[in-house]
Amino acid sequence: MLEARLEQASMLKKVVDAIKDLVQDCNFDCNDSGIALQAMDNSHVALVSMLLRSEAFQPFRCDRNIALGINLSSLTKVLRAAQSDDQLTIKAEDAPDVVNLVFESKNTDRISEYDIKLMDIDQEHLGIPETDYAATIAMPAPEFQRICRDLSALSESVSIECTKEGVKFACQGDIGSGSVQLRASSDVSNPDENVEIELSEPVSLTFSLKYLVNFCKASGLSTRVRLCLSSEVPLLVEYPMQENSYLRFYLAPKIGDEE
Amino acid sequence: MARTRSKPAPKAAKAAKESTPEPATTTVKPLPPSDASPPKLFVLPKDTSKDSRIVTLDNPANGAPSRYYFCPEKGFYEFTRIAAPKKDCRSWLVTSEKSLDSEGKEPTTEQEGVTLGTGYVTKAADLFIATPVDLIFLILPVLAPKTTKETTPHFLELYDHLQNLASASRQWKVLLAQYPSLKVMIEKKMTLICDTVEAGGETMYRVSHEKLLVFLLKRAERVCKNGLPPSLEEKFVKNALEVPIMTIKRETSTAATSVVEETTVKEEEVAAPALATPPEIPRLLRIRTALTYLTSSYLSPSLRVSIQAQVQSSSPVDFTPLTTHLAAIVKLRSEAAALRSISDNISRKRVLEEDDEKIAEREEKKRKKEEEEKKKKTESRGIKQLKKADTSGMKKMSSFFTKVPKKT
Repeated sequence: MLEARLEQASMLKKVVDAIKDLVQDCNFDCNDSGIALQAMDNSHVALVSMLLRSEAFQPFRCDRNIALGINLSSLTKVLRAAQSDDQLTIKAEDAPDVVNLVFESKNTDRISEYDIKLMDIDQEHLGIPETDYAATIAMPAPEFQRICRDLSALSESVSIECTKEGVKFACQGDIGSGSVQLRASSDVSNPDENVEIELSEPVSLTFSLKYLVNFCKASGLSTRVRLCLSSEVPLLVEYPMQENSYLRFYLAPKIGDEE
Repeated sequence: MARTRSKPAPKAAKAAKESTPEPATTTVKPLPPSDASPPKLFVLPKDTSKDSRIVTLDNPANGAPSRYYFCPEKGFYEFTRIAAPKKDCRSWLVTSEKSLDSEGKEPTTEQEGVTLGTGYVTKAADLFIATPVDLIFLILPVLAPKTTKETTPHFLELYDHLQNLASASRQWKVLLAQYPSLKVMIEKKMTLICDTVEAGGETMYRVSHEKLLVFLLKRAERVCKNGLPPSLEEKFVKNALEVPIMTIKRETSTAATSVVEETTVKEEEVAAPALATPPEIPRLLRIRTALTYLTSSYLSPSLRVSIQAQVQSSSPVDFTPLTTHLAAIVKLRSEAAALRSISDNISRKRVLEEDDEKIAEREEKKRKKEEEEKKKKTESRGIKQLKKADTSGMKKMSSFFTKVPKKT
């Protein structure tokens, strides 16, 4: 059986909010190392991969590998019933029909309990190898969100060009063009605002802004975001969480119709 | 009528149709390839003149070029193709039996190099029968041009009419030039359907719709004299006059309240006389059926319309009793259908229940559809928006990452 308790229900809430607009149903794979999730969007050009390590839960118990097939909009509905600082306990049998969510308020003695019916979801699972990316950019998550949002007003796609000088997000649309250039910077007093660029070779790739904007819904999860690029492979957008947990998005680059 | 093989003697002048000998010997020779244009089987009128020939003239009903058999003495014949239904595989075995045609087939066979002596098998079991067709129908399109509706045509001399005919088709020109007897035939026919005016010693002709209708009605009556063909009789006369059975109505009247009972009784009173078909009705219907057949197969569409109008306005045969009777039957039928629909509903359900498999299938489909709809409804706004995203040039994830078999 599975029993996992999160100190803050809001964390799961944010994760689900970030991916529910990308996938409808997905399997939460639970094993003794934690809860993992991998799913693709309807067009199969983007992939979301989440790992909540067992360390993020206190306590965490999972005797057997369980796949919890959950409709994300159902899960959203239930999570909406939780207050952000509620404690959340996830429980399931070994061969479950339902997953049980218990919200406990810290201050009052309020306990609410919900069961969500599970689904059989037949999803293919992709093996994602560790990759050495040509360029890795770490920046404040709100900054990335702002860039995507601003540029998406002009165009469907953005080119991300990473050179020694810095990283340049540029787009061209019907009404005109726009670009945002960031240079590596470090602020000792406020390291969250740093822009760090690791570059082994310059890269330039084009991506769909609609998808990137969608990924940015995870900005609430983390102060920082990491973009990893190499030519000809999907962009990795990673939102790190505590205890080495993460939420990662992969997006296939646009090839062939350069702007 | 003489039965002929590929074609009888007088048709020597006709367009030649090749037929190759097909020896039916018992040797195990491979079968010779089938002909591209195999001989066709015709039944032609007997005692036709030597100058008889097949001509291509415009079909009076639809204007499409069609074949007619023309004999300068007897007039025109049209060909009717009689064929077995497609799935009924039949063919003709044609052999030369000396007894069958002894008149003059020798030249034919010699000319075309055909020796039918051992027999010939045609794949298509079509039989073309030449049946007489009135010359009037063939000349009508020229006599009554399409513009008749608006302007009344002028009186014209016979010569002018013939000229029109000749200019309308090359074949007519040749026929008219070659056979003076044809002109006499045409003139005789034209007096039947045309108004005439004497002017300067010449007779002028103009098509009269009244006369044409009288002529058509006479024809129709002649068709009916020997009875319509069984298939026509069945479809257009027997079925049309069938009065629906109103037993169900009586049942409902017993169960109905007194007020309804009164009305149903009245209806039954109406129905009772309708049940008896007046004796003149079938004859009228037969004539009208024959007339419709004649107009639809031998008259051009524009002429058909005006003739039909003529029938309604000033027909020498009064069809009004027929129309009222048919209308009454239609009304009765719709009433009966309305009554029946209730019981039909029940029986239909029962039929379906028997077919469990179909029901299951349908339910499965319905369920799937509903599920899909439900899924669509629960789709979040973001997912709907993403569907609009332009994914051109983007490869699928599976082309970057390899699939792994499921662990659990």
